[in-house]
Amino acid sequence: MPLLGADLRRNTEIRRYPILAYALVPLAALVLQAWLPRVLGSWAWFDLPLVVTVYFALDRRSPIQGTLMGAAMGLFEDALSHHAIGVNGIAKTVVGFLAASIGVRIDVENHTIRLVMNFLLTLLSSGIVVFVSRFLLGLDYEWQWYTAIFSAIGNSLIALVLFPLLDRLEIRD
Amino acid sequence: MESFFDRYRNLIVLLAILLVQIMGLAVQVRRTSEGRSTLDPRDSSGVRLIRLWANALVSPPERIIHSTGLGAGHLWQNYLDLRHVRQQNQELQKTIDRLRLEQASLLEDARQGQRLQALNKFQEKYIYKTVAAQAIGSSGSELSHVFYIDKGSDDGVARDNAVITPDGIVGKVREVLGGHSAQVLAVNDQTSGAGVILETTRIRGILRGNAFGQLEIVDILADKRIQKGEVVLTAGGDQIFPRGLPVGTVDKVVPDPERDSFIVVMITPAAHLDRLDEVLVVTSTEPRFSTEQQQDIATSEEVKGSEAAAIKEQQKASQIMAERLPGLIDPKLPPDQQPLYDNSNPIPVAHPPQALHPDRFTPGNAPGPVPDAASETAPDANAAQPDSGAKPTEQKPASKPSTPKQPGQSAPRVQPQSQKNPPGGTN
Repeated sequence: MPLLGADLRRNTEIRRYPILAYALVPLAALVLQAWLPRVLGSWAWFDLPLVVTVYFALDRRSPIQGTLMGAAMGLFEDALSHHAIGVNGIAKTVVGFLAASIGVRIDVENHTIRLVMNFLLTLLSSGIVVFVSRFLLGLDYEWQWYTAIFSAIGNSLIALVLFPLLDRLEIRD
Repeated sequence: MESFFDRYRNLIVLLAILLVQIMGLAVQVRRTSEGRSTLDPRDSSGVRLIRLWANALVSPPERIIHSTGLGAGHLWQNYLDLRHVRQQNQELQKTIDRLRLEQASLLEDARQGQRLQALNKFQEKYIYKTVAAQAIGSSGSELSHVFYIDKGSDDGVARDNAVITPDGIVGKVREVLGGHSAQVLAVNDQTSGAGVILETTRIRGILRGNAFGQLEIVDILADKRIQKGEVVLTAGGDQIFPRGLPVGTVDKVVPDPERDSFIVVMITPAAHLDRLDEVLVVTSTEPRFSTEQQQDIATSEEVKGSEAAAIKEQQKASQIMAERLPGLIDPKLPPDQQPLYDNSNPIPVAHPPQALHPDRFTPGNAPGPVPDAASETAPDANAAQPDSGAKPTEQKPASKPSTPKQPGQSAPRVQPQSQKNPPGGTN
């Protein structure tokens, strides 16, 4: 019964957006993520591509779409860095899949749930990045736990502002 | 019946995508000879292509943002201003907003002009060939301290070119991404490295970044001479950064947690690595001289050339002379008849003036044999005898038995003139 309920909810509550929104919003997130740290310096405690990935995964409620979007965003971020391409890709792939899977079962309109989801998924993403770098690849990779905490807080706060703005792009019947 | 693939479609897609990415990662990582895993510093063609695509997608919007001056600070400030003024007065808001925009724009232009002026001055006096570039973007990750500049291969930028500012070093070009874009690895990244030297203590070490994005010097033995505030310069041994460029100042010294008796020197960077705008890319380490310096060098080369030609001519002339002149040694002649036989005393001897009225004290006129006196005066007489030279023919050694040669006494010097005579002859 819970599965049936989830399927019904998925079918009835899938949000739809203009095609341009699927292209421009992730692109804008990637551009801003590449540009804002240059302006804000060391205060850029956020990951806009991750926030956008979580948003579309939660609202589309499709694990495959969430997986693909997370993979694309992560690979793009890796390509802009000098690290191995795939580290962020794997992290955001998992995050997109989980967000979409969870989005079926929860009320994604609730701000508290959005805030908590972003916080936890950001921490998960950081953990996967560390795991892949240090244990899977065996790289000499230093990591500070508080950077992950700050990023998680930053993402949660941005999501509180950004999600309602993105909700306005939704196509309503 | 629901098939296996339909039932686990989501999971299969997830695993497939993860597997592909893991395989891609495995290709990029290699083992060093020490058994450690490391990323290949040079990207493979496939990875490079992905980076090029990503950069091609992100760079144009970044350039537009930068060129139009729509900074995040401006947008944020304008947004706040609009909200505030709208509550007070609509008309006043427009005026103030326009004025502030203009002021901010002019101020930004003025600041940029000042920065460019300083950069230009630095570039003029800098001896190496440099290209001014603008930082247009970053990696977006606090764990990857790379940024992008708007100069590429068309401007002469190449891999491993040093990137500096008038304040200090910034990083090196990691990858050239086309004609007008390049990726720069900042010095505060964990994977960067540069040879540095402490200015006063002359201690050398390796500069790198840590997980906090701070600069630190590693591989230094504990040394109490290292004090806070000491200037750190590039050592020039890494073949990337020219020698003597400012790096920063010593902030503090902490023990190396991994190795005993080693320390880690934390550095406050000289350049503002967090907020970079204009940078200089050192495209060539060949000395670049001004027109006046080049003229001086050309003049010096000409002078040196003429001097060298003159010396060469002299050598040639002496060689010709040596060939034409007779030999210095004729094997057919006895030694005293050789062409260049020199029988003169190389040291000129001072002869005493000839006495007008010779007496018994005059050299060579010593009285008759006085054994005791002769034994004492003989050396002097013998010594003076050759020097007198006044009446060589009057000397009668045979009639002076009282002046025997004392044991251990040196033989009397032979008068140069007598050397020409046959032995025993009086001429």
